[in-house]
Amino acid sequence: MHTDLEPGQSLARLLRGLAPDSAHPYGWDEFRRRAQPRPTLAAHLASGRALAATVVIAVAACALAIRVGGLARHPHAAPGSVHYGVARQEPARPPAEETAAERYLASLPRDPAVVHVGTRAAVETLEDDIAQVDDMVSAARAGSSTPPARLQALLDERTQLVSSLVQVRYAESLAYASR
Amino acid sequence: MARLVDITVPDAVRVRACAGDEDARRVIYAAVAPATFTLIRRMIAQRSAAEDVFQDTMMILFERLTEFRHEAPLGAWLRQIAISRCLMHLRSPWRRVRLALEAEALDELPAGAAQVTAPLPPETIDIERALGSLAPTARAVLWMYEVEGYSHAEIAQAFGRSISFSKSQLARAHLRLRAWFEPQGHRPTCTLT
Repeated sequence: MHTDLEPGQSLARLLRGLAPDSAHPYGWDEFRRRAQPRPTLAAHLASGRALAATVVIAVAACALAIRVGGLARHPHAAPGSVHYGVARQEPARPPAEETAAERYLASLPRDPAVVHVGTRAAVETLEDDIAQVDDMVSAARAGSSTPPARLQALLDERTQLVSSLVQVRYAESLAYASR
Repeated sequence: MARLVDITVPDAVRVRACAGDEDARRVIYAAVAPATFTLIRRMIAQRSAAEDVFQDTMMILFERLTEFRHEAPLGAWLRQIAISRCLMHLRSPWRRVRLALEAEALDELPAGAAQVTAPLPPETIDIERALGSLAPTARAVLWMYEVEGYSHAEIAQAFGRSISFSKSQLARAHLRLRAWFEPQGHRPTCTLT
């Protein structure tokens, strides 16, 4: 904390002398009310969304199964013998380090009560980027025309992002533990 | 009203609150809410945004009360939470987008329409309005330094920026506020930021 008495001292006195905010905060009951999740409209919307999502996933799964099944059939195979071979080269699974990194991230405590804005902004940016890459990976896996190299590049990018996130969260947890 | 940093809560009340006692939590809320809200309002001018940050801060207080280590009064710990949440709000992408949109809207106004000449005579300097004329970041830095007693190093750490960032923001705020103390003829117009 600074202790120097500068020319700004009078300004500090003026600022400290400001009256408390005239509009008081709401009371305990209102705080409790705002802290509660709203079950009415939100619940209806959530159940509606869940139903819609289930239907969409089911339709997409059926369409995908039909498409992949149709493509995988060998054109010259004998009638009745259907080969559900690999339609395209599947990229490698996530490396063991990435799995370990994700386990480590899951084991970390939740955000500290007091956060450093710069660190938190970096964490949130990385988490957003990972979510974005996840979406792209899902889209790439669902699409039959995605080249395997493209999918592999996305998975590599994801691995790098997760690694960066581990480093930032690790530094954050060290800083928090040392306080 | 006591300053937030000085507010303490009896241990017995805190322990009961940690155990989920509703009455104890109500007592803590009553003790710290006004000072917390005032601090947040000084950092964030817009009331609805300030209420969101206040709600967030108070929820974190009760969720993490067991982590309180008694190294300082409870109010000092809560102040750290409140300030870090305010800075998170100031740095949030949504807020930045909103500011950009407001700036665009301001550009579209006829020349001079966005400026409001301060109508107050010099002898009734309105420090509230002077404070309101500052950019949000400069206001936050000014408040943290002048009122809350943070050092430039602490402000820089809280913002995730350099010490010179803190110093330049403070200098800018001082310059701006000093203009309010000058005679009417020299007073600059108040530009929306």
